[in-house]
This record gives sequence, structure tokens and C-alpha cells, in this order.
Amino acid sequence: MNYKAVIIGGSAGSFQVVTRILNSLPKAFPLPVLLCLHRLKHVRSGFVEALSLKSNIPVEEPYDKELLKPGKAYLAPANYHMYVELANRIALSTEDTVNHSRPSIDLSFMTAANAYREKLIGIILSGANKDGTFGLKKVHDNGGVAIVQDPNECEVKTMTQSALQLTKVDFVYTTDQIISFLQKLK
Amino acid sequence: MTELGIVDIREIIRTIKSVHNYDFSNYALTSLKQRLERLMSINTIGSTDSLIKKISNEPAFIDTILFELAVPSTEMFRDPSLWRWLREVYFPEVTEKNIGKFKIWLPVCVSGGELYSLAILLNEMGLSDKVQIIATYTSDKIVEILKSGCYDLKKVDVSHENYKRGNGCKELSAYYKTDKNCIVRETSLIANVEFRKLNINFDLAPQNIKLILFRNSLIYYNPTQQEKILRMLYGSLSASGYLVLGIRERISGISTSREFEIVNEVESVYRKRMLN
Repeated sequence: MNYKAVIIGGSAGSFQVVTRILNSLPKAFPLPVLLCLHRLKHVRSGFVEALSLKSNIPVEEPYDKELLKPGKAYLAPANYHMYVELANRIALSTEDTVNHSRPSIDLSFMTAANAYREKLIGIILSGANKDGTFGLKKVHDNGGVAIVQDPNECEVKTMTQSALQLTKVDFVYTTDQIISFLQKLK
Repeated sequence: MTELGIVDIREIIRTIKSVHNYDFSNYALTSLKQRLERLMSINTIGSTDSLIKKISNEPAFIDTILFELAVPSTEMFRDPSLWRWLREVYFPEVTEKNIGKFKIWLPVCVSGGELYSLAILLNEMGLSDKVQIIATYTSDKIVEILKSGCYDLKKVDVSHENYKRGNGCKELSAYYKTDKNCIVRETSLIANVEFRKLNINFDLAPQNIKLILFRNSLIYYNPTQQEKILRMLYGSLSASGYLVLGIRERISGISTSREFEIVNEVESVYRKRMLN
């Protein structure tokens, strides 16, 4: 096993994709899954519950400095940035928005890339802005695996196309291919 | 923007400690890294070496560091349901007991999001005279901004929404005027606030506090320092005093979780537990 975490970023049109991914992971998925998805700032509840419904692994909004565990998904809470701190802990932050977003996909990806280096899998999904582009580049630059959902399949292509413009990613995958890639991780 | 490595950050922390005796070594590393990078970018400092030279050679620069390392509030009346709880549950309960004038402490004021929100709430509840607000801050530049009433224009819309959701009695715009790049809040709201400069290590914290509003500040420290700060806040609270943390902050340390009991799970409100 060469990896330590999977991080997924998405915005408009990504909810169904994330749901399908969580629904297809084995119960004993060997890695923590970090989810940084754009969401309404003031709506605190409902999202994690909706994602949990069909998920095979527990989905939680972490508390600050929570330890990341394999086989669990961590959803960035509303109105917080979610970072990966060294020593495998989550760190939350209320710093300024980045690309009008808090949580910012770029920040989550960059901090995860710094913490896990080549042992990180970063996936950018459907979305309507360019958040995540720099984050995915950082994952790639640090030797991690950079995956982008096939723009032809995305409900909104902006985010994936922007990521593809800046980074020579490892894989452009459909949802099914992303799922089978993750299922093979043992 | 220059990207700092761990070695750079440690070197910067060491320099600040040796020159100014401020200890940032227990700050959460990822956010400290970001704040330092931001500080360097804003002040056009191109390398770790130049930053270190500046810290060593320009004593007054420490205030800029303390200012830039503090994270401003995201908006006024953040988490409107907490403000509703304060308005509809907490303050009515406290004032019913008729305890006389009591103290509320805001340990880390940066942009005054919490300070002015609280002052507005107390004003609307007719409690301004019954409460002594103590606002502590770390940098001179911060207190200047707090006293000027200035607040980031781009945080105003969401603050309006929050205020309404928090059952505010008027329109938030009744409390400020719009300037070019900021709003200027009504400074008479904070006329009776006691401002105190506080060392970042929380030395000489105020005592006998009924309510501490300390939301989304613990997140900037590592678990060791979080425990220390919580223990210090425990010491500052009066018997059965309340501590409000950010909604994703929890008291989880072994000793501190015995010292506080949770009163409102959703809003992260704790009560000081009396230990026998």
C-alpha cells in the first residue's frame, strides 16, 4: 500500500458523483477520504447526512485537530477551511475566502499535498469555478496522483477543464473509472 | 508568493522568540505557515533571511507580525443560531437571577466581528449597563482598528443576513456608515468596553468572568497549547461561568474535559464545572 489519503474536491454537479463513489467503496477502505465540496456557508446541517445515506463508510464533519482514520470520510464543514496538519490531524481555519470559497479546495489540496507528498491521491470533480486548480497542481508537483473527472461527463466542466489546463494530470477518468481505481487500493 | 518549509518556519519562530520573547512554537503549523507567507507577501519580503533580518533589526516590526498572524473574524453574527440562543435563552436566564453587573470577556479580538455583534445584542436587550465587556488584543494596530469601527466591506452582506437570521431587532445598517473600502461601525456601541493588551501566551488574564466568547481561535493552536489555554480560561471564569467555542471546536483533552460540561452541543457552549 503506497498511499496515505484520498482527497476529493468538487462543486456544482459533484454531489451525485461523490455519492456514487462513497456508495462503491468497500467498508474497510484502507485510507481516509477527505471531501472538500463547495456548500452554502450558513447551512450547517443536512449535507453530511445526505452524503451518509448511501455511503459505505462513515461520513463526518471533523472537529478541529481530529485524527484522520482509514475507512472514514471527512467532509469540510460549512464556513471553515479544512487543512491537513502534520501528524495526520485535521486543522480547521476561518481565514479569508479563497476564490470566494470557504472551504477552499485549493487550500485543502495544498495542505494535504504538503502533509502526504507522493502518498496522496487527489481527485477534482465537476464544478463551476476554478477552485482546486492550484491544489491539484501541488498534489502532482509533490509526486502524488492527480486525477480529474472526464469533463465530457461533468455536469459543469469549468473546474475540471481549468485543472487540466494547468496540470499534466495522471488520469482523466469517468466516475466508473474513478470508482474502480479506488476499489483496487488495498 | 514564497513558500515556506518547516525549517524556515522553525527558524522564524526561533528568531521571534529570542528577540521578542513571543512564543509561536505551539501554533498550528499549517495556518501559521499561511499567515507567515501572507505577511511576507503583503510586506514584500522575498525570503526567510530578509524576514529574519527584519525581525532582528526593526523592533517595531513585531507589531506588524502580531497583527498579521491574528486571523480576523469571517463576518459579524457568524452562526446566527448562537446569537439567537444568547438573545433568547442565555441573557434572559442570567438577568432573571439579578446578579448585578457582570463581565464578558472576548480574549482574541482582531477585527471586532464578535465585539460589535455582542455590543449590538446587549444594546438591543437594554443590557449595555449591566455588562462589562473586556476585549483583549495582541497588537496595537488591532486596537486602533477596533476603536475606529472599521470593518471589511466584503463581509457586510453576509453579516446582514446573519443579523436577520439571529433575530436582530432593526436593520444592521442602523449601526454603521459606509465609507470607501469599509464600513464604519457606530463606535458609541463600544464606548464602555475595557480594552487590554494581552500577551499571546495569555499571561495576566482577567478574572471572575461570567461568559467568555472564544470562537474559532483555539483552531490556531496545537493540542498541547489548546489544553493550556482552556485551563487558563477555566481559571478566568466565575463559578458556573460559560465558555463559547466555535461550532467545530470541542474540549477533548483528558483534564479539561473534566473541568467543563457541555450545555449546548450544537453551538459548542460549555459551563465551568466545580471540582470537589
